[in-house]
Amino acid sequence: MEETNFVLLWKEQYEKIDQSLAINKQLLKEVISQKAESALQSLIRFKARGIVVAVIYLILLGVVLFYAIAHYSSALNYFIISMAVIFLINVKALYDYIKHLVWINNINYDGSITEIQQKLAKLQLSIMQHSRVMVLQFPFWTTLFLSDEWFPYSVGWGYIIFQLLLTASFTYLAYWLYKNQTLENADKKWVKIFIEGSGGKSVMKALKFYKELETFQQVG
Amino acid sequence: MSLVDKSDLFLSVIEMHKGIVYKVANSYCKDTENIKDLVQEIILQLWKSFDNYNEQFKYSTWIYRIALNVAISYYRKEKRRKEISNPYSEGLFKLADFQESRDIEGNTLFLQQFIADLKELDKAIMLLYLEEKSHKEISEIMGITETNVATKIGRIKTILKQKFSQVTT
Repeated sequence: MEETNFVLLWKEQYEKIDQSLAINKQLLKEVISQKAESALQSLIRFKARGIVVAVIYLILLGVVLFYAIAHYSSALNYFIISMAVIFLINVKALYDYIKHLVWINNINYDGSITEIQQKLAKLQLSIMQHSRVMVLQFPFWTTLFLSDEWFPYSVGWGYIIFQLLLTASFTYLAYWLYKNQTLENADKKWVKIFIEGSGGKSVMKALKFYKELETFQQVG
Repeated sequence: MSLVDKSDLFLSVIEMHKGIVYKVANSYCKDTENIKDLVQEIILQLWKSFDNYNEQFKYSTWIYRIALNVAISYYRKEKRRKEISNPYSEGLFKLADFQESRDIEGNTLFLQQFIADLKELDKAIMLLYLEEKSHKEISEIMGITETNVATKIGRIKTILKQKFSQVTT
């Protein structure tokens, strides 16, 4: 097939359409008059379920924490501190998630294709990076049930060693996951399983597309 | 500029370049319903960006950038898209003889199919090439160098030629 034929074929295909294409002006006016919908409103519409579940979870944690503080006794020290940290980590994760979604929703498409698509993919990927803050709560789940009254006499050394090992191993696991769950490691199998397991298929798609964009920008 | 003047100007710009919006939507979507939704999303994004239109670029460049960016992002938001119920039963664009116009055959049909099979970014570059945009304009829209544009167009055309030769022999 001759080179120019592609252009001719394309013209042939759209010649008729170009002539008969008409705008529904009334509808267009209606559509643009509704653009005032805020990023937050549309966000709530599209991601409502996930955000509602997260908010309910935070309320539950908050109520438990409030109850513990209201009925304070030194026996609850470990519980209050652990629960407060878990609560704050979850608040931070939800805040970051919403913030990123608002950014994605508000992106201005008026830029070159590679620039905007890279920005979009990066934003999607940064949701993953921020979500890794969640793993930092792991060790605090092992200290929730401890009591001031147990130490140092009420429990044996065996239990103290067991508790230390448990908390230390969860601390190390949290640190290791936090440190290694990065974009640079996204090709590794365990990171993929971790991301996909937490509902991050769109993140994997974004990552694949981001790499495609990088290759696209290279000449030769 | 008042809101009425602004929407009138916007309407005339869209009227003048409606073909671009339709062609982009038609190249990235297969069924009529999706084309209709994508056209609406492109128009909305154009309107949102209208205040920031940079006169340094032609209207067509501005429209291609937004339309292609929206179209490429469109399928990557598939789940979200399914949750949106389009409140409008009609489309923004009307085709007088719609069925007839889409009733294409032969090489034109093959070209449409082969373009549909291209990756999102290659599809964008090919669409601009078929619209006879200069390498300079394509590089401005795509954000890659002119040399890269030439290389990619060459490669895509070779692939298309191979595909054509397979179906015609």
